[in-house]
Amino acid sequence: MEGPKLQVSGLNAYFGSKQVLYDLSLQFPDRAASAIIGPSGCGKSTFLRCLNRLHEEVPGARVEGSIRLDGQEISRLNEVAVRCRVGMVFQKPTPFPNMSIYDNVASGLRLLGVRSRDRLDEAVLASLKQAALWEEVKGNVDAPGIRLSGGQQQRLCIARALAVQPEVLLMDEPCSALDPIATTKIEKLVLELKRTYTVIIVTHNLAQASRVSDHTAFLYLGKLVEFGPTQKIFERPDEALTESYVRGRFG
Amino acid sequence: MPGEGGLGEVPPRRESIERRGSRLRILGRGFHALSAGVAVGWLLLVALLVGVLAWTARSAIRHSGSFLLLGAEWDPNRQIFGAAPFIVDTLLTSLLALLLAVPVALGVAIFLSELAPPRVRDVVSYAVDLLAAVPSVIYGFWAFIVLVPLMAHTVEPDLARTTGGTLLFSGLPLGVDLLTSSLILAVMILPTIAALSREAMRAVPRQLRESALSLGATRWEATRMAVLGPARAGILGGILLGLGRAIGETIVVAMVIGGGRTYPTSLFSPGTTLATIIADDLTSAAPPEVSALVAVGLILLGITLLVNLGARLLIARERKESEEEELPAHSRPRGLLPPPGAEFRGFAHPGGAGEAEAVLAEPVELPAWRRQLQAQLPGRLRRRRALYAAVAVLTLLCTVLALAPLASILYTAVQNGGRAVVTPSFYTDTMAPACNPATEHNCQLGGIGPALQGTLILIGLASLIAIPIGILAGIYLAEYGRNRFARSLSFLTEVMTGIPTILIGTFVFVLFLAEDPSIAASATTGGIALSILMIPLVTRTTEESLRAVPDSVRESARALGFPRHWVTLRVTLGCARGGIVTGALLAASRAGGETAALLMTAQGFQYYSLGLGRPIDSLTLVIFTTFGTPYPNWQEVTWGATLVLLLVMLTIGLATRILFHRHTAGAEVT
Ligand SMILES: Nc1ncnc2c1ncn2[C@@H]1O[C@H](COP(=O)(O)OP(=O)(O)O)[C@@H](O)[C@H]1O
Ligand SMILES: [Mg+2]
Repeated sequence: MEGPKLQVSGLNAYFGSKQVLYDLSLQFPDRAASAIIGPSGCGKSTFLRCLNRLHEEVPGARVEGSIRLDGQEISRLNEVAVRCRVGMVFQKPTPFPNMSIYDNVASGLRLLGVRSRDRLDEAVLASLKQAALWEEVKGNVDAPGIRLSGGQQQRLCIARALAVQPEVLLMDEPCSALDPIATTKIEKLVLELKRTYTVIIVTHNLAQASRVSDHTAFLYLGKLVEFGPTQKIFERPDEALTESYVRGRFG
Repeated sequence: MPGEGGLGEVPPRRESIERRGSRLRILGRGFHALSAGVAVGWLLLVALLVGVLAWTARSAIRHSGSFLLLGAEWDPNRQIFGAAPFIVDTLLTSLLALLLAVPVALGVAIFLSELAPPRVRDVVSYAVDLLAAVPSVIYGFWAFIVLVPLMAHTVEPDLARTTGGTLLFSGLPLGVDLLTSSLILAVMILPTIAALSREAMRAVPRQLRESALSLGATRWEATRMAVLGPARAGILGGILLGLGRAIGETIVVAMVIGGGRTYPTSLFSPGTTLATIIADDLTSAAPPEVSALVAVGLILLGITLLVNLGARLLIARERKESEEEELPAHSRPRGLLPPPGAEFRGFAHPGGAGEAEAVLAEPVELPAWRRQLQAQLPGRLRRRRALYAAVAVLTLLCTVLALAPLASILYTAVQNGGRAVVTPSFYTDTMAPACNPATEHNCQLGGIGPALQGTLILIGLASLIAIPIGILAGIYLAEYGRNRFARSLSFLTEVMTGIPTILIGTFVFVLFLAEDPSIAASATTGGIALSILMIPLVTRTTEESLRAVPDSVRESARALGFPRHWVTLRVTLGCARGGIVTGALLAASRAGGETAALLMTAQGFQYYSLGLGRPIDSLTLVIFTTFGTPYPNWQEVTWGATLVLLLVMLTIGLATRILFHRHTAGAEVT
């Protein structure tokens, strides 16, 4: 096994003059799912958005510190190239409303300049299967993406992110807008995906974190309190703060 | 803990609360009835407008029939009324204006919504709003002084030369013609289209843009993929509203179109539109011609209503469509089979762990085309970023181009009217005899005293009528109007904001001509015409500000046991106050810049007002009647009036902006 897929050290993030992340350092191993937990407003989304350089698109936002992807500093890479390697799925499903299911999934590849119908077909099929959506939409891929149910839309967004074959998949509370059945499907999907991808998932749901992740990071007020194997974080954390959070004593 | 004495005290207090409550309830019902009555009254007024126009036009329609639409000759002396050339000129100028304005407006909208840094965005958005608020008579004056000579001496001869004087660009380039009219119309509708398109783009959720960025899109690609598509309906609606405005615009066109009354032979032909023939002839027309002109007005009303209705329906339908969910069973199937020989490297189903393990076991190997894609990435990225940069520069240029007229108008007005506005007597004097200070010794500047007085009286009258009616109707629509009638009325009100103002003037004029001709041209009719223009604006802004108050505010107030009208009056209106005041101010400032509705009602007057039953002057009418004068002192007065009007608009614009910002800031705190 080589080094970590993503290595974060000394990360500070700001909105204008307001600092929201303080000196974060942690490493995400390849082909594993890592969960990020913490009370709302503690900076989980901001942290995730630093990892694909989306944070800096917010006017006035700023990042300091080092994030290495396979050992390469991402701030030195082109941001478009970084985002091709680090995909993201948002809290609310965000299919492009004017595009069909097919076009949604193909959109990333079309950006990369893929025009061949055969290759697009191949990639769309593979991604839809990977996102466990194929069985539900086959024969219907020309229907608008927004006509799908919420859970299907979220899997469509996952398929769309997977189509460009990223190395890392970021998921920001992907189930918080979904019903329990759709949530279960996404969780199963994460368990599958982590075998080939580095998955980093932000979740409000502690049970979900314990079900899907191998490692868990606990953030509190913009600081990393503890990071370690999920089992350890949930059963015998080092920090009292983590203990009281995972026991549901606050947040 | 209340003791014996306490218990004795409670019953009277509760009784008084109950009595007060029932009194409030009765007041509330009365208020509900009042606002509903006002809303119905507003509907009746619109019906009266259409009815009076139709009634006045009926003799001409009976007399001329389809010749009105198809006939090519207009001769009041021989009672020949064929408006076909006017229809052609109207459609030609407005469509050409649209063609010129849309690309630039979209560039401005994309720049403001997607590409500009926030600080630039705020300043430029304000400038674009100002551009939309500049009265049309000022655009017309500026066009006549600045644009017409430029067109006549440079642009049109060049066009004729480069195209070899072919059909479209043949004839004598005079500068007052269809082409110049289209150009200035384009300048006028550009801010409307840009502002509405920008709003449609801003309404696209941020996460949609970020989804595109996360897929590796540049900002321009994200705009194309995730913004322009969802905003399409709103953009189209804005374009159609711009078209409606161009079709109904009177004053600007009347000042530069030249007045030719036959079919145009080229874009250099002078012309007459449906609106300008009414403006030119109505006040001096004999009864048969009045009827024919009103029939022309009906044609104009029909066209603008169709365009406006289309715009509003388009926006409403698309909005509803995007809210629908769930996959319908009947969507078109499309066979998507795995290409032969393509090896699939994913997981078929969740839980298919065995298969997954198998995939994991072999090293993940990318197909050749994927590897090629990665190799090509740097080169392609450079090209894509160059495209983004090019688009950014292009949209910036569009923005500069869009703002250039505002800069030129301000510059020319300060240059020519700057001295007048710092002369105190300018604000109190009446018009002086025409003269030239360069050659004559006793040449007086004169002033705009009567015009200032008239504008204030007209705005005062109009506000007195329109603001109470508009606010009550708006309250009815927002607070009580969950029924079908109210929804239709709200829609109608929206459509009414796009009705050509010349038709409002025509309506009031012919109504009074029939009832009491002695005051048909007076401050009273002018005020009424302006109030009809203001009512839909005030109604809409009131309704919108009230709807913006979250329902939770109403619910929590109701949960405390307040009767309904109490909630409406105190809580909701309190929250929406800023928006309502802003709307009333903006409507009043629109009225202050209005010319077309005053042409036949107020009609203008040389001296201070002699009463509400007599004609009255206004700033806009001064500009409209003296814009082409050869006398230097009158020119200076006209520029002075322009500058005063501009400064007032600027101040109101700035004031409402500050007021509105403070209002929203306050709402965030509470
Ligand atoms: N665009 C923004 N501008 C300013 N502050 C922001 C912005 N977005 C988030 N914040 C602040 O940053 C902090 C962290 O937010 P976020 O990362 O969204 O938290 P989480 O995802 O853990 O709920 C919060 O205090 C929030 O108020
Ligand atoms: Mg969050």
